[in-house]
Amino acid sequence: MKDILGSLNRRTLLRAGAALGGGVIAGMPLSRAIWAAQGKVLKVRADGDVYTLDPGFYVGFGDIDVTNCIYSKLIKYKPGSEWGWELEAAEKIEQVDPTHIRFHLRKGITFTGGHGEMTARDVKFSFERVIKHNSPIKPDWGPLDHVDIEDDYTGVVVFKTPFVPVWNVALPFGVGHIVSEDAVMKATGNGSSFGLKPPAFSGPYVLAELKAKQYTVLTRNPEWSGPKPGFDEIRIIPINDDKTAERAYKAGDVDFTRISLDSFATVKSNPPAETEIEEHSSLRYYWIGMNIDHPKLKDINVRKAIQWAINVPQILDAAYAGQAEVATGTVPPSIVGHRESALIPPEGDLAKAKEFLDKAAVSDLNLTIDCLNESTYSTIAQTVQAQLSQIGITVEINVQDSGSFWTLGVESEGDRWKEMQLSVMYFNGLPDPHYATSWWVQDQVGVWNWERFRSDHFDELSAKGVTISDPGERAKVYHEMQDLMEESGAFRFLTYGGNPVMHRTTRMKAATLPDGRPLFLDFKPV
Amino acid sequence: MWLYLGKRIVLAIAIIAIAVTLLFLMIRAVPGDPAAVLLGPRATLEMKAQLHQQMGLDKPLVVQIVAFFGGLLHGDLGFDVFSQRPVADIVFEQLPYTIELILVSIFWAVMIAVPLGCYLAIRRNSLVDQVASVVTVATIAIPSFVVAVYVLLIFAVTLRWLPAIGAGNNFRDVLIHLILPAFAIGIGWVGYISRLVRASMLEILGENHVRMARSFGLSEWRIVARYALPLAILPTVTIIGVGIAWLLSSAVFVEVVFARPGIGALIVSAVNTRNYPIVMGVVLVTTFLIVTATTLSDVANAFLDPRTREKL
Repeated sequence: MKDILGSLNRRTLLRAGAALGGGVIAGMPLSRAIWAAQGKVLKVRADGDVYTLDPGFYVGFGDIDVTNCIYSKLIKYKPGSEWGWELEAAEKIEQVDPTHIRFHLRKGITFTGGHGEMTARDVKFSFERVIKHNSPIKPDWGPLDHVDIEDDYTGVVVFKTPFVPVWNVALPFGVGHIVSEDAVMKATGNGSSFGLKPPAFSGPYVLAELKAKQYTVLTRNPEWSGPKPGFDEIRIIPINDDKTAERAYKAGDVDFTRISLDSFATVKSNPPAETEIEEHSSLRYYWIGMNIDHPKLKDINVRKAIQWAINVPQILDAAYAGQAEVATGTVPPSIVGHRESALIPPEGDLAKAKEFLDKAAVSDLNLTIDCLNESTYSTIAQTVQAQLSQIGITVEINVQDSGSFWTLGVESEGDRWKEMQLSVMYFNGLPDPHYATSWWVQDQVGVWNWERFRSDHFDELSAKGVTISDPGERAKVYHEMQDLMEESGAFRFLTYGGNPVMHRTTRMKAATLPDGRPLFLDFKPV
Repeated sequence: MWLYLGKRIVLAIAIIAIAVTLLFLMIRAVPGDPAAVLLGPRATLEMKAQLHQQMGLDKPLVVQIVAFFGGLLHGDLGFDVFSQRPVADIVFEQLPYTIELILVSIFWAVMIAVPLGCYLAIRRNSLVDQVASVVTVATIAIPSFVVAVYVLLIFAVTLRWLPAIGAGNNFRDVLIHLILPAFAIGIGWVGYISRLVRASMLEILGENHVRMARSFGLSEWRIVARYALPLAILPTVTIIGVGIAWLLSSAVFVEVVFARPGIGALIVSAVNTRNYPIVMGVVLVTTFLIVTATTLSDVANAFLDPRTREKL
């Protein structure tokens, strides 16, 4: 003890203070100097940590943001306001017939670490291992059967049945990334997941450093022979909380971030200096769900009364400061199958709601509404509570954490689904209508179909929708499916949320997808 | 002293075992399924069953807890199926960030609060003492996350003197990244410890041996530093030990506000996703830290004041 106290004399303290003070002073010019000193460094915010860098087993969109940079795919998404794709590793790709896609690889794409040139064998390996190793995201491939190899650069992806979403989701997204068979087999022994340790890279960048909950650093791939991306280094910083990310942006610690919807209006009216703000609707869709099997909601007139009593713009004003647009269904704008309008007007109609309630001959109705323990969802629940009180329905709000909430309607998790009545729901979508509708087929009742909506015709349309390649014809199918959902009375569609982003115009020209997600490869330095 | 130490260690092990068992049961009593959260909406029932099997959740609760403690005996905290990494790797990767934050917070708080408490005791009832009383109580009352947000807005966003997020790379960078979060956590402790030291000091300064020292003509600061402070500091040592738990909970919020790595941020996401192995690993380590800190402070007290050894 004496030794410790002895070492903490005045001079030691002064030295420590000087070191800290020096650090502060040194820190002042640091953020300004960093741009010039480090070359072209892109500093961007990610919503969370990278979970895996194995694209065949990806977990979240954050994983894909990184894998897009370090591996190649046959095709990739085009930046812009419309969903579309362009060639990446493929020189040519075509739908030969409804179940066959022929691709021809560009020559000269090499894997790092001496694992050779990318061939059709690597494509076959990458696609088939997702099915073979029972990856959690194998549904992305739908009815994929196998990949035939015609020569070193040519192959045919074969499906058991037609599967149109492959062009919108599988090929240009996660499971479409191509890894080296040689490298993965050497690293894992059997081709299973390699987690956070990629054995070889095939994209314009390589992983230089990954520190959990701190940053992911990508640097240029010296063996990359394709078009050079704009930045020497990409530094991806995981920040879960939107508000923290906004403060980090204002402090200059990141140059690209998403903005939370509740602070969007403020940021828009008073943007940080040298900042461009872009508005994007997200692929997420929100709705108020009603459990058809609950005795209190069995009567369609009660459900219709609730649908008509809910005033959606009012909810969006309260929960999103009016910054989110009204949803017309589960398929977001810019996706095939998006409806121009819902069957029930967004404002609803209280008189009509009362008529339905009278028809149901129900009085003193008490209901519960479940929602997540985040302010947006509890505000939605509170607004619904107030709106339904106008037609004499009393609503009790049950706020739950995500772990509890996301098992509410799952039959295998107990009997809570029987007690479930109303719920504030959202699902994350992908750029294909199949992923915005397929949860409500009858097989999904008690799995993800918590409204317990059942319709044979809906199931037929769901199966048909993935086989139609003509966008116009396909849209009609998904329009009808959403009509059926709404007519059941079990859904009141709310919004697609929004995904506004901001970036520093003195550092970059950002490139995003229609839903605001970044495409780092297409970012250009200024 | 050795007997006392032995008893404390046995008690510490019992506390850890009970705390971990309670949490093990509590987290499973709460509804929720890690498979549903981790695998997302596209998961099939087969996939969920497979994940349950991998996580050992298909086994009876007793088997699970026995397996957990059995693993502990071999130094194995379990395996995180989600990230495909050992839990120990994940926890010990994040732990240093929280420990450095807590240590720096408490260090600067003690360095300021102890001299301040002594000074206020000597100048009791003066204008400085009265002003300091108000200010120190105010610092105790303001939650650390509120301080965190405001210092961040002032020093990082407005003035841009210090970084807003992260933990830094090299030594200097780490220190710079620690200034704001450590300030946010430590400021409440400055108030708390200085009030404690002041009160203890006032009591000690009125005792006979201090009056005797004064009668010998020793200077007031010498009396404080040599004769009063070693006794007045005892409650502070105890409080710091107990306060580790409080510091850990403050660290959770501050780590979120500053997007710092650490076990606070880790456990928040693990509880939300019902990632039981991570939750258990973090709780085990934090319980160990808290119990170790309180044991050390008790031992330090017993070392400084032999009367306390008889109370166990």
